[in-house]
Amino acid sequence: MRRRAGVGAIQKQKLEQEKYREKGSEIQENQFQQMSKQLEVFRENLEEFATKHKSEIKKNAQFRRQFQEMCAAIGVDPLASGKGFWSVLGIGDFYYELGVQIVEVCLATNYKNGGLITLEELRNRLIAARGKAKKHQDITNEDLLAAVKKLRIFGNGFSVVPIGKGKWLVQSVPGELNLDQTLVLQKASSLGTAWVSASILTDDLGWNETRAQNALNHMVKEGLAWVDTQETKETLYWFPSMFAECVSA
Amino acid sequence: MAEISWPWQYNFPPFFTIQPHSETRAKQLEAWEQLIIEYLKATKQSTIDIRESQNSPLFNNTSINRKLSQDAILTVLEDMGKTGKAAPIDKSKTIWEIYWHSLDEWGNMVYNYVCNNGLNNTVCTLFELREGENTVDEEFHGLDMNVLVKALKTLELKGKCELMEFDDSQGVKFF
Repeated sequence: MRRRAGVGAIQKQKLEQEKYREKGSEIQENQFQQMSKQLEVFRENLEEFATKHKSEIKKNAQFRRQFQEMCAAIGVDPLASGKGFWSVLGIGDFYYELGVQIVEVCLATNYKNGGLITLEELRNRLIAARGKAKKHQDITNEDLLAAVKKLRIFGNGFSVVPIGKGKWLVQSVPGELNLDQTLVLQKASSLGTAWVSASILTDDLGWNETRAQNALNHMVKEGLAWVDTQETKETLYWFPSMFAECVSA
Repeated sequence: MAEISWPWQYNFPPFFTIQPHSETRAKQLEAWEQLIIEYLKATKQSTIDIRESQNSPLFNNTSINRKLSQDAILTVLEDMGKTGKAAPIDKSKTIWEIYWHSLDEWGNMVYNYVCNNGLNNTVCTLFELREGENTVDEEFHGLDMNVLVKALKTLELKGKCELMEFDDSQGVKFF
């Protein structure tokens, strides 16, 4: 004879489910506690590491890069916040300071380069300016790029224009360069002449006359390029930011 | 050729073409003004003759084969004229006097010298002011005669001195 399910069985089943649930949440709680404990330990260690090596990070460029890479690998951006526990590291401060100095150099050289400066010149000038007070703080191109990226917060006033292998220009005037203008700068940089002409652009980049002229005219209008009409063949467009004597002046 | 340290722009070929973009041109003209003044100071000149200027190394950089055209020179000089740093002497604007200080400034400089040395109410010859032993350290020592006279005339207008003619030289009485 088949017994029908009684009330007792249902109640028993309910009780069991309840117990399972309790156990489940208990385990969950445990895991969570463990996790946060681990996180706490990790934070403490990282913090300890960073404070311990704070001056090392500031002074040693290679060490700084490795620290940055390590942070990037675990998804932490020490520059992301000036508050919270990262502020004790002073890593952000290093870059903020650098950022301010970059702005200063850009403004100081604007009168001659129209707001375009090679990363190389920028670095040399920064090192010269920081020189005496902080002998040991050698700055790498990576540091500069990281600092300039932070300056983007202020709008499109500061941007980095890649102009070929390991070379960058820092633009410190409002207004973004379009792709064609970036290509013009790349061309001038790769030729090493500090100038380009419409025919070079049409020959080497396969542009038509109008496209080349538009790009060049725009750069003159932005104050980035100077016009030279005394070459018999055609008009040349010069970039003071790449002209050796201007850079060293 | 005079020993002056040429600025970087002097070897920058487009420096010799007047720039179409206004901001860039302003920078260019300013650099030209400084260069012109420095060059004239070093060569002890005070006038520029536009017709002959193309032969001067100032406006003709043979090493990069660039020169500033006569029109361009006129543009630069006219810009200098706006701030009182240059003035044409003839009507066709071909010969210009360049003042590395404005006439007012020159006048004040002379007057300061006079006050500091207690020469008020005495008569000096212009020769004394320009070539005298006492003014060797003054910036106006050796200043072009025409410029000096013009500077003194600005003082005269302010009632600070009076120019007078002798038989063969000029003198000035300071008040």
